[in-house]
Amino acid sequence: MSGGAFEHLKALIVEDNPHMRELLCSLLRAIGITAVHEATDGDGAFRLMRETQPDLILTDLSMTPVDGLAFVREVRHSSDSPNPYIPIIMVTGHTERHRIEAARDAGVTEVLAKPIAASNLFQRIAEIVQRPRSFVKCAGYFGPDRRRQSGGGYTGPYRRREDSDDIAIR
Amino acid sequence: MTKPPEFIAPENYKPLLPKNQQKAALAALRSSATLAKASRVIAQKTAALRGAVLDLVTQMEAFTKSGDWPAAFAAAHEIRGLAGTAGLSATGRIANGFCHYLDALLRAGAQPDAAIVQLHVDAITRSARTEDETARHGDAVADELAALVARRLAELRNG
Repeated sequence: MSGGAFEHLKALIVEDNPHMRELLCSLLRAIGITAVHEATDGDGAFRLMRETQPDLILTDLSMTPVDGLAFVREVRHSSDSPNPYIPIIMVTGHTERHRIEAARDAGVTEVLAKPIAASNLFQRIAEIVQRPRSFVKCAGYFGPDRRRQSGGGYTGPYRRREDSDDIAIR
Repeated sequence: MTKPPEFIAPENYKPLLPKNQQKAALAALRSSATLAKASRVIAQKTAALRGAVLDLVTQMEAFTKSGDWPAAFAAAHEIRGLAGTAGLSATGRIANGFCHYLDALLRAGAQPDAAIVQLHVDAITRSARTEDETARHGDAVADELAALVARRLAELRNG
C-alpha cells in the first residue's frame, strides 16, 4: 500500500523535543519515507541539509541556539543552500497570530499546529504534492507565494500604485 | 523604482515527486490503511508522551514559583504541543490558554497576575495527573479559564 511513491524521498526533521522528533519520524515512516534525518536546532539542521540533500523538511519553531525561523531564512536565502525551493512544513505549538505570520514571512510552505494529528500531517504533504505553489522573489521576501487564492476573478478597479502589468513570470 | 516581484512557477523548480508518482502518493496519504498504521504509531507512544508531559508540568510549577516567566512559558508551550497527542486534550487546551496569557503579558512588559497563574497551574497539574480523562471535567475548566484570560487581556488592552 503506502511506501511506493515515497520510498526514495529523504526527509529532515528539525525538532528539539526527542518525543516529538521520534513521533514525526515514525509518522513519515508510516507513509514509506525510510531516509529520515534528524537535527535538534537550525544550525545542525542546515549542516545536515547540505550533507544529506533532503526532499522535504519538517521543522519546529522554538529551538536553541538557532530557531526554526532563522533556519528557514537560511534555507531560502543562503548562497550555500542546496535547495532554496524545498518544501518546508513548520510544526509548531505556537498558535499566536504574530508567530504564524513570522513563519509565513520567513518562507515556510505549510504550517502544522501541534498537537499532531496524523491526518493533518498527511493532508499538508498531500497539499505540497497536489498543489505546489509558485515562488515569489521580491525585495525583502523569497519563498512560496503567500497568497492562497489567485484573485483571478477580480476585474478591478486597480487603484494601487503598485498594480502593474509588468510582473515578471519565468 | 522598485523592481517588480518575480514569480517562479512550480514547473520551473524540482517538485517533491515526479508527476507519474503523484497519484499513487495521494492515494497512499489518504488511505485508511495508512491512517490506521499512523494511529498505531501514535498509540504506541502515548505512555512515553504522558510521562514527558508530567515532567514538564513539574518544571512549569517550579518556574512559576520562582517567577521565571520565559521558562514557565517555554514549559507550558511544550505541554500544549505534546498533551493533545498524548490523549490529554484538556491539558493541552488549558496550557494553550496559559501560553496566550503569558505571551501577551511578556510582550507588553507586564507582570502576570498571581491568581490567574495559580488557577492555570493547578488546572494543568490536575488535568495531566488524573488518570481518567472524563473525570477531569477539563474541557469545562479550559472554557472558563479561556474566558477569564480573554477578559483580563481585554482589560489590559483598554487600559
